[in-house]
Amino acid sequence: MELLNSLGINVKLLIAQVINFLILLFVLYKFAYGPVLRMLDERTKKIEKGMKDAEASGKKLEEIAAKEKGILDEAKKEAKEIMKRSEDAAMKQAEEIVITAKDQTQRMVEAAQKQIEQEKNKILAEAKAEIANLVMVATEKIIDEKLDANKDSELIKKAIK
Amino acid sequence: MDISLVPETIFHLGSFPFTNSLLMTLVTSAIIIGISFFVRRNTKLIPRGFQNLFEAIIEYFFELVHSVTQDKKETRQFFPLVMTIFIFIIISNWMGLLPGAGTVGIHEVEHGKTILLPFIRSGSADLNTTLALSLIAVFAANFMGISAIGLVRYGKKFLINPFKKPYFIGTFVGILELISEVAKIISFSFRLFGNVFAGEVLLIVMLNLVPYFVPLPFLFLEVFVGFVQALVFAMLTLVFLKMAVTAHDH
Repeated sequence: MELLNSLGINVKLLIAQVINFLILLFVLYKFAYGPVLRMLDERTKKIEKGMKDAEASGKKLEEIAAKEKGILDEAKKEAKEIMKRSEDAAMKQAEEIVITAKDQTQRMVEAAQKQIEQEKNKILAEAKAEIANLVMVATEKIIDEKLDANKDSELIKKAIK
Repeated sequence: MDISLVPETIFHLGSFPFTNSLLMTLVTSAIIIGISFFVRRNTKLIPRGFQNLFEAIIEYFFELVHSVTQDKKETRQFFPLVMTIFIFIIISNWMGLLPGAGTVGIHEVEHGKTILLPFIRSGSADLNTTLALSLIAVFAANFMGISAIGLVRYGKKFLINPFKKPYFIGTFVGILELISEVAKIISFSFRLFGNVFAGEVLLIVMLNLVPYFVPLPFLFLEVFVGFVQALVFAMLTLVFLKMAVTAHDH
C-alpha cells in the first residue's frame, strides 16, 4: 500500500477514471460509432448498387446495339434481294417486249409484202387490158378497118405474147 | 520547479481528492463528446468537409481492426473499445502539451514551503488514469474471451491438468498465462504513464533552462510520442482481445 500511495494511486480516483472512461465509451458507442458505421455501410451498399446498375445498363446497351446491327444486316440483305428480283423481272419483261415487237414487225412486213404483190398483179392485169385496148384502138386507127372483133383480139393477143 | 510523480490535488470534494489530471480527463471527455455530437449533427450520406476527415479516421481504424480480427462480428465488437481508447489517450496526451502545462496554477503552502499546483496535467501522466484504462482493457479481453468461447474452455487456458499430455509444463504455462494477465495491466499502465510523464517533465525542464525555441523540437517529439503511445495502447488492446477470443485447442 505504501508503494501504491507513493505512486499516487488512489482507489477513489481510480474508480472515478474507470467510470469516466466507461461513460465516454458508452456515449461514443451510442452516438458516434454506431451511426457513422451504419452510414458508411449504407453508402457502400448504395455505391455497390449504383455500380451494378451501371454495369447492367451497359450490358443492355451492348445487347441493343447488337440487335440493331442484326436487324440492319437483315434489312440490307432483304433490300438487295428485292432489288435483284425486280431487276430480273424488268429484264425478262424487256426481253418479252422485244420479242413481241419483232413478231409484230415481221407480221406487218409480211402483210405489206402480200398486199404489194396483190396490187402489182392487179395493176399488171389492168395494164394488160389497157394495153390491149390501146393496141386495138391504135391498130383500128392504123388499118382503119375494123376486123372482126374476135379476130382482132386474137391477133393482139398473139402480138403481145 | 516542482516535479511530482503524484498528480496535485486542486481541492477536496468531501474526502474525494479532485486532482488536476482528473480535471484534464473530464475536459478531454467533454471535448471528445462535444466533437462527436458536432459531427453527428452534421452527418450526411454525401460527405462534405469536416465529415470526410472523421470518416476517414474511423474507416481507417475500422479497417485496421478488421485486418487483425479477420471477422466481421469481432470487428464490430472490438472497434468501439479500441477506437475510444485511441481517441481518449491521444487527446489526453496532447492536452499535456498545451501552453501552461505544469506552469499555470495556484500556489499553496504545504509543509512550510510554497508549491505550485498546476491546472494542466495530462490525464496520462497520472497512474490512476493509465491503470484504469489498462484494467478496462484487460478485463474487456477476459470478458470477451469468456463470452466468445465459454467459461470452461476459456478457463482451460490458465488451469491445465498436470496429469495429461504436456504434464507439469502445461500447468506451468497456465500459471504463467495467469501472471501475464497481471503483467499486462502493469506494463500497459506504466508504459503510458512513463512516456507521457517523462515527456511533461522534459518539457518543464527545458522550459526552465531555455524558455525560447529550444523546447520546440521536444514539443514536436512529444506530439509524436503522444500519437505513438495512443496507437500502441489501442493496438495492444486489440491484439489481446483477439487472442482472448481465439480458442487455444492443443
